[in-house]
Amino acid sequence: MLRALISLAIVVLAMPVLAQDTRPSRMGPPRPAAAPAPAVPSPTVEADVSTRTLAVTTGFTGHEIVVFGAIDNSDAPSTGTGYYDVVVVVEGTPFPIVVRRKSDVGGVWVNTSSVTFGSVPSYYAIASTRPIEEIAGPGVLERHAIGMQHIKMTPSARYKGTLKEYELAGFREAVIRLKKKENLYVLEPKDGVTFVGRSLFRATIPLPANVPVGPLVARTYLFHGGEVVSAHIARVTLHRAGIERVVHNFAFIYPASYGLFAVLLAVAAGLLASVYFYRQPG
Amino acid sequence: MNIYLPIAEMSVNAALLLGLGWAVGFLSGMFGVGGGFLLTPLLIFMGVPSAVAVGTGSMPILASSVSGAIAQYRRRNVDIKMGVILVAGGVVGSLIGVQLMKLLRQAGQFDLFVSLSYVTFLGAVGALMLIESIGTIRKSKSGQTSGRKTRQHSWMHGLPFKMRFHRSKLYISAVPPALIGAFVGFMAAVMGVGGGFVMVPAMIYLLRVPTSVVIGTSLFQIVFVMAVTTFLQSLQNKAVDVVLALLLIVGGVIGALFGAAAGARMKGEQLRFMLAALVLLVCLRIGWDLMITPAEVYSLSPVFGGGG
Repeated sequence: MLRALISLAIVVLAMPVLAQDTRPSRMGPPRPAAAPAPAVPSPTVEADVSTRTLAVTTGFTGHEIVVFGAIDNSDAPSTGTGYYDVVVVVEGTPFPIVVRRKSDVGGVWVNTSSVTFGSVPSYYAIASTRPIEEIAGPGVLERHAIGMQHIKMTPSARYKGTLKEYELAGFREAVIRLKKKENLYVLEPKDGVTFVGRSLFRATIPLPANVPVGPLVARTYLFHGGEVVSAHIARVTLHRAGIERVVHNFAFIYPASYGLFAVLLAVAAGLLASVYFYRQPG
Repeated sequence: MNIYLPIAEMSVNAALLLGLGWAVGFLSGMFGVGGGFLLTPLLIFMGVPSAVAVGTGSMPILASSVSGAIAQYRRRNVDIKMGVILVAGGVVGSLIGVQLMKLLRQAGQFDLFVSLSYVTFLGAVGALMLIESIGTIRKSKSGQTSGRKTRQHSWMHGLPFKMRFHRSKLYISAVPPALIGAFVGFMAAVMGVGGGFVMVPAMIYLLRVPTSVVIGTSLFQIVFVMAVTTFLQSLQNKAVDVVLALLLIVGGVIGALFGAAAGARMKGEQLRFMLAALVLLVCLRIGWDLMITPAEVYSLSPVFGGGG
């Protein structure tokens, strides 16, 4: 946040002409976040998500969330886009994951090597006003974990030295490739974030049916001149509901009772079938 | 209509699952087999995680074997004493199988193990059945009758714990039935099959149990072993999806009715020939997947044994 404010201050001071151009009517009351920049209130981004809580029920087939927001104290000269860039990143809860690699062992394909990554986001979607490479340099993107190649994935300590760097990179790329295939890592097309008027913007993020249940974090970044000017975090909770929740909790919290229930259910189904359908004397 | 499966954690078409249950039920009704060897691979092809496919597969088998066993029991075709020994062995086998499955999942070799087991057993049983049915068809065409070999003394008669099995009209050791039961229980746990296709020939050719009693007794064993396996899979591997199972059962019951009617119009050896061909096809399909160069050599899985 501090870094953003400093860079913002630099940007504002470097462009006095543009700064003076800001119309007072659009400024609104000064915000606490803008305090360190004394001359002009700095542009900040605020955002929210259309759906804050999402229920995964038996009928869940995925959901589209809309991340929308506005730039306050915008000093953009006109309604044309290109002055500010907005990047929206929606990330799922990180989980440990095992990546396995098959190789040919005597004609049969067998898992031969594996890497465990301590925490990999279960879901990762990115939407931006322009392709992110055009918005900022790799250093900035890396720092804010923006872009699939910048997703933080650290292998468990025991792989240090046993695998070469390029081999690890292969495993890392495989995670991204496979997650993309499952629609869990999504790169929205280049106009993923669209401006509605001068300071309002929206981005549509598709959550597929197989999105892992858990909290999601939507990070919204405001870019100007290749640097992050402001950022905002919103949360979405994804929780199981209805029969889906009952069954899942039953199976994982009371596995013994669940097992008995499963047995009784199958036996009852079999008995019912024999009573109704197989009554003919044999 | 899509339905979200709570344990498999995926959204699938409910009609597709009902149809799958129906098709497997039809074939099992027609051939008089449990159909687990078809159901589990088909679920895996559909994208259900292999552990969930294997764990859930035991529920439809349990349901269909309950109705089958009741029908056989009414016809007095169940040798309870033999059945109890087969069950005792089966429970031990299932316990070992479920534990092994847990270890293999942690090691990342479970899928390979399941595939190799399928190729081995389906290949062997399918080939034997094919040879036998072709032989029978030839003989029936040339007008010969196949005489079964008279009972001969073998190494099996030297084993201890001899028992009298009245309904099977046998006086043999309890060890071979217990071992067969254990082996079938183990297969049930790791492959998600009832194991009838191994148990029935084993009882006929190894134990010399009369054919009339074999089906009922093996169904008796399958009921209890499948109940234990379903329970253990829930407890140990959390791999039983009741929503998935229920859809398969409903489809399966209806399919079995149609299948039984279709099977009644066909000759035994023709049915066996077709079943053998089907078993070999499934075997080849799984084998093919093991041999061809995969499009993707990497795979992802959650970490087991640590909250996963």
